[in-house]
Amino acid sequence: MESPLTWTFPGFWQMATVDVPLESLDERALVDACLAGQREAFDLIVERHRRAVYQLCYRFVANHEDASDLAQDVFVRAYRGLRKFRRQSSIGTWLYRIGVNVCINRVSARTLPTEPIAERQFVDPKADSGSDRLLQSERRAKVRAAIAQLPRKQRATLILRVYHEMSHQEIADALGSSVGAVKANFFHALGNLRKLLGPEGL
Amino acid sequence: MHLTIEEFVDVAEGARSEASLPHVSACAACRERLAAMRTAIRTAAADDVPEPSPLFWKGLSARVTEAIDADLAARRQWWAAWTRPRVLVPLSAVALLAIVVATTPNPNALWRGATPATTSPPAETTARAATIEPASDMVDLAADPLLTLVSDLSANMDWESAAAAGLAERGSADHAVTHMNSDELRALKKLLQEELARPGA
Repeated sequence: MESPLTWTFPGFWQMATVDVPLESLDERALVDACLAGQREAFDLIVERHRRAVYQLCYRFVANHEDASDLAQDVFVRAYRGLRKFRRQSSIGTWLYRIGVNVCINRVSARTLPTEPIAERQFVDPKADSGSDRLLQSERRAKVRAAIAQLPRKQRATLILRVYHEMSHQEIADALGSSVGAVKANFFHALGNLRKLLGPEGL
Repeated sequence: MHLTIEEFVDVAEGARSEASLPHVSACAACRERLAAMRTAIRTAAADDVPEPSPLFWKGLSARVTEAIDADLAARRQWWAAWTRPRVLVPLSAVALLAIVVATTPNPNALWRGATPATTSPPAETTARAATIEPASDMVDLAADPLLTLVSDLSANMDWESAAAAGLAERGSADHAVTHMNSDELRALKKLLQEELARPGA
């Protein structure tokens, strides 16, 4: 019986098969295995990308609960649409694209609450003292809240550019717009962020 | 002329040098704007996403697996519901009927049991049909030999005979008229006369 964590490759001239552990497969092979009915292959895709997808969602909504729900939704949609993955980009970029769409749609549906400072789990080890840590946490919370207030496309552009280091072209592909529009959104996002934070917040 | 949005972004991100745009050194407003953009990028970039508990990641994977299972089950259920014989048989019948109606040149003939257009009706009914042009469905009615027979038989039948023959069923308008008293009949007659006297009636 075939092990649940191996993927059987069609061998030379279909005369032999080779069992390869799923963990050793690259993303495209994982997609193939998944499309061939190996659900465990998708679990590995989730495992490899869950942090990046969660962080993307967190940037949009600035709270843990909604970010977890959105991340889950992104993976369910990815599984549903796996056959539509055209392999022109990496699966990571494809997941970002789904993530941006899921987040933009959800964010437009309702205003999401940002997390209060006390509930944040982030601790900066570089901060010298408790008061420094608190100040830095407060400052970060303000930045996050300001980003969460930006218009949807500006927010998406800023997040993908600053935190996920995507090129303007990749962002344009993900958002279904042009490079010029992406640059304009980025320009206005920075201007609005400055206004929302004020001179002391920067 | 000040920098364009694209030039601002390219210079602020370092994709293009300030030296390539001589205007920057001459314009304090553009320099100030560029500095503000760089500060905003630095401020945003310094923000990290709070790291959830290590257990969260396994929990997220488990939630995704459960959600996918539920999604697959819901889809299977939906498909099974639509392919049950109780649903599929009537749906197929309706679809078949729709196809038959759509592909029949004269669908009205289906309900009336009229003879196909290719067969020639009796000469007498053809002549009658010609007098009640131009409504096409009326032509079909006249071409129906059964309806013609009924029409001929009932041509001289009066109201009472029809009622006595049981043609006016209990509950029908005809039945109601035959059971009105004289005052009600007078009121009805008056109403009908008023309606007939209206122009265009």
